[in-house]
Amino acid sequence: MLKIIVPTIMLFPVTWYSNNSKIWINTTSYSLLISFMGLSFLNQPNNNSNNFSMNFFSDPLSSPLLILTMWLLPLMIMASQYHLKKEPWLRKKSYLSMLISLQMFLVMTFTANELILFYILFEATLIPTLIIITRWGNQTERLNAGLYFLFYTLIGSLPLLVALIHLQNSMGSLNLLTMNFWLKELPNSWSSNLLWMACIMAFMVKMPLYGFHLWLPKAHVEAPIAGSMVLAAVLLKLGGYGMMRITIILDPTTKAMAYPFLMLCLWGMIMTSSICLRQTDLKSLIAYSSVSHMALVIVAILIQTPWSFMGATALMIAHGLTSSMLFCLANSNYERIHSRTMLLARGLQTLLPLMATWWLLASLTNLALPPSINLIGELFVMMASFSWSNISIILMGLNMLITALYSLYMLITTQRGKPTFHTHNLNPSFTRENTLMSMHMLPLLFLTLNPKTILGPTLC
Amino acid sequence: MLRRALRLGGGRGLVTRGPGSRGGGSTPGKDWDGKVSEIKKKIQSILPGGAWNPLYDTSHLPPEHSDVVIVGGGVLGLSVAYWLKKLEKRRGAIRVLVVERDHTYSQASTVLSIGGIHQQFSVPENIQLSLFSASFLRNINEYLAVVDAPPLDLQFNPLGYLLLASEKGAATMESNVRVQRQEGAKVCLMSPEQLRNKFPWINTEGVALASYGMENEGWFDPWCLLQGLRRKVQSMGVLFCQGEVTRFVSSSNHMKTTSGTEVTLKRIYEVHVKMDHSLEYQPVECAIVINAAGAWSGQVAELAGIGKGPPGTLQGTRLPVEPRKRYVYLWHCPQGPGLEAPLVTDISGAYFRREGLGNNYLGGLSPPEEEEPDPGNLEVDYGFFQDKVWPPLAQRVPAFETLKVRSAWAGYNDYNTFDQNGVVGPHPLVVNMYFAAGFSGHGLQQAPGVGRAVAEMVLEGHFQTIDLSPFLFSRFYLGEKIQEQVII
Repeated sequence: MLKIIVPTIMLFPVTWYSNNSKIWINTTSYSLLISFMGLSFLNQPNNNSNNFSMNFFSDPLSSPLLILTMWLLPLMIMASQYHLKKEPWLRKKSYLSMLISLQMFLVMTFTANELILFYILFEATLIPTLIIITRWGNQTERLNAGLYFLFYTLIGSLPLLVALIHLQNSMGSLNLLTMNFWLKELPNSWSSNLLWMACIMAFMVKMPLYGFHLWLPKAHVEAPIAGSMVLAAVLLKLGGYGMMRITIILDPTTKAMAYPFLMLCLWGMIMTSSICLRQTDLKSLIAYSSVSHMALVIVAILIQTPWSFMGATALMIAHGLTSSMLFCLANSNYERIHSRTMLLARGLQTLLPLMATWWLLASLTNLALPPSINLIGELFVMMASFSWSNISIILMGLNMLITALYSLYMLITTQRGKPTFHTHNLNPSFTRENTLMSMHMLPLLFLTLNPKTILGPTLC
Repeated sequence: MLRRALRLGGGRGLVTRGPGSRGGGSTPGKDWDGKVSEIKKKIQSILPGGAWNPLYDTSHLPPEHSDVVIVGGGVLGLSVAYWLKKLEKRRGAIRVLVVERDHTYSQASTVLSIGGIHQQFSVPENIQLSLFSASFLRNINEYLAVVDAPPLDLQFNPLGYLLLASEKGAATMESNVRVQRQEGAKVCLMSPEQLRNKFPWINTEGVALASYGMENEGWFDPWCLLQGLRRKVQSMGVLFCQGEVTRFVSSSNHMKTTSGTEVTLKRIYEVHVKMDHSLEYQPVECAIVINAAGAWSGQVAELAGIGKGPPGTLQGTRLPVEPRKRYVYLWHCPQGPGLEAPLVTDISGAYFRREGLGNNYLGGLSPPEEEEPDPGNLEVDYGFFQDKVWPPLAQRVPAFETLKVRSAWAGYNDYNTFDQNGVVGPHPLVVNMYFAAGFSGHGLQQAPGVGRAVAEMVLEGHFQTIDLSPFLFSRFYLGEKIQEQVII
């Protein structure tokens, strides 16, 4: 693991000591190199985990997420170049430092061996994200958004701290590698229900679950592009990853306690998809679509079958890449027209045809078109939930329909139609933007050829 | 470094923003009340839900971002805001900000006008606009209804317009009336005997023909329309700001047309709105700017760089709207024409109408080109009435020989020096500036139709209901005038 952590920490001196004109190229290229180094984690010789040290390990569940995180840093840096153009050098370097520190915490979170270490890093990722949202966001509402984000996540995760310390005291160790072996059934009592709630709520708020999702549209809309990308692609998956790890020790309470959350998810999926149909703000639409996709992941994790875990992992990776790409596309619109309203940027296909290709591909993967990994994830989750309860297929099917509806609505409103007068002088797509989109889309398309890398620990 | 990063001081630290002006009492009693409300405001701003700047109070400033910024809050600006909100397909789709320099409207053309509406134009689009406005005004309480607010009383007096023509102008008047009837206006032609029968107080010497509008013409209260629009538009979610637009920050693209000529297309992405009586300004990031600044539209257009170029080219074509001062006089005449008098426009250009029920009349005259008064201030020249307005009126209506001027006021006419008709639609080079200005005295009566046309242009990309393409800006460069046939 040191081969990842030390280079990531050394990215700090790279930003601060680079020549001013070279900070972007230096940080982007070095972070890209780090992500290529991380590809070696995909080599999982057996179903067990790769243990790197006493503190870090990687597992078929965490390695795809880890690679996603590392892959995103160069993309985030590339995406932020335009809106930071006019800032002074000190601020640019501070922004990059925030991104790098966030990256460092995330890398360590996904490979943490021990749950308390995981918790500390989980909370530590909030700080750079909060700074990025409130300091570099666009509107005055960003302060409001930052507050919602911070307090929702903190309040959700404080009970988790208490639960983890109690578990440490009673079990003696919270090491993820050995947790499988000292499993005891939780007794059937109110205290184990409370323990279950305490452990799960943090991740529910992070995912977010439908009832606790208020922070997500605000944070996504007000954050600058890199903030939106990392929020959508990685931070939400922290919740999924954490839930998958912690539900190991929470059997059999999960069977009974998960019901209300499953209901909330199934209902929330349809609600948030329907809200997407009524959205006028592009980023808000993508944010609500994230909630909808994540609700599928929560359903999968709570059902706890091998197929659903495979679907959850695949969906997390696929959604990370797709959502981040959609935010980049929305940002490219915003940089040209200075407005996030969809109506004001119509008919872009005639003006920017290559960008329209990326829009098309992103929308198609968002609506889970076969044979993309989005479809594989959704399909596995649907099949698992059908076997859990036959009726859920109605809700899932309705959700797929509405997802297709709003993805196509977004595509048609922005790309098709007659271009307006005020889009006459759009800057053509920069090479940087095209690279950004292709670097999102190519992994997504290549994973279609070999999806078993992202199908998680229960692949048999 | 970390401390600086943690400082939540707002996105653009290089912009100078002074603290807002505070007016407070200095006596201890008042101070305590002021302090309590200030503390309450601070607490409310900290709780989630409000905009918050930790350094100073910014509640009087416009938001930092708005999709559409409408420069000018008169009847045209408010009409555009109303139709933008009415025609948007989902509620809350477009954020609109109306920037008005003077919330008392002390110099706005809207409230200083006599409020007439008529369809007796020669340009078909003008007739269609006025017809639509008349139906809008008749159904105003359906269009502008706000929950729990009293209905509007526009005091629409549908008494019609009476235009008089001499021998020379009779042919023009006949062809005009034919066009008007084709468009659906109800106008009738009257001979001098019919005139004398209907309006015995008219002296028909020199009059060969008269056209009288029988429906949808008359006058109404422009203040009421303005307040109704303001109320409705605020209820639809449009933000108002009192301030002056001082700067447009734009980005340019140098492009080549298909024939190889180079053009520079500009896009305004930021509008600097300066607060009253202070140097404080707020940069508002915007996607579309609508120029509805009335008499000052020309100045606003210059701010955007319209007209800065070699004359004769498209870059050098200015927006030819300038303020012209017009006087309106109010007099009392007990033997006057009475309650059924329409708004009469004489051959000389002098006009008058009844005002209220106390034998008062309003009237005036558009001065010829050479004698335009200085538009620097709104001072009234009573001598103009004595020399130029009274004689033709007294000749036309003998009862007016014994009138007594009660008062007078002056207002600006956003005069289009090119062809005295409005400018609507986008500018070819500044791609996101739309015009709704320059109506040369007809802005009030054409406002609902023009507002809808501009909203359609912004939201759909073309005119849908009334085709105002002859009114586009490009006619100034191409030299295509659409002028009203003036009846002499």
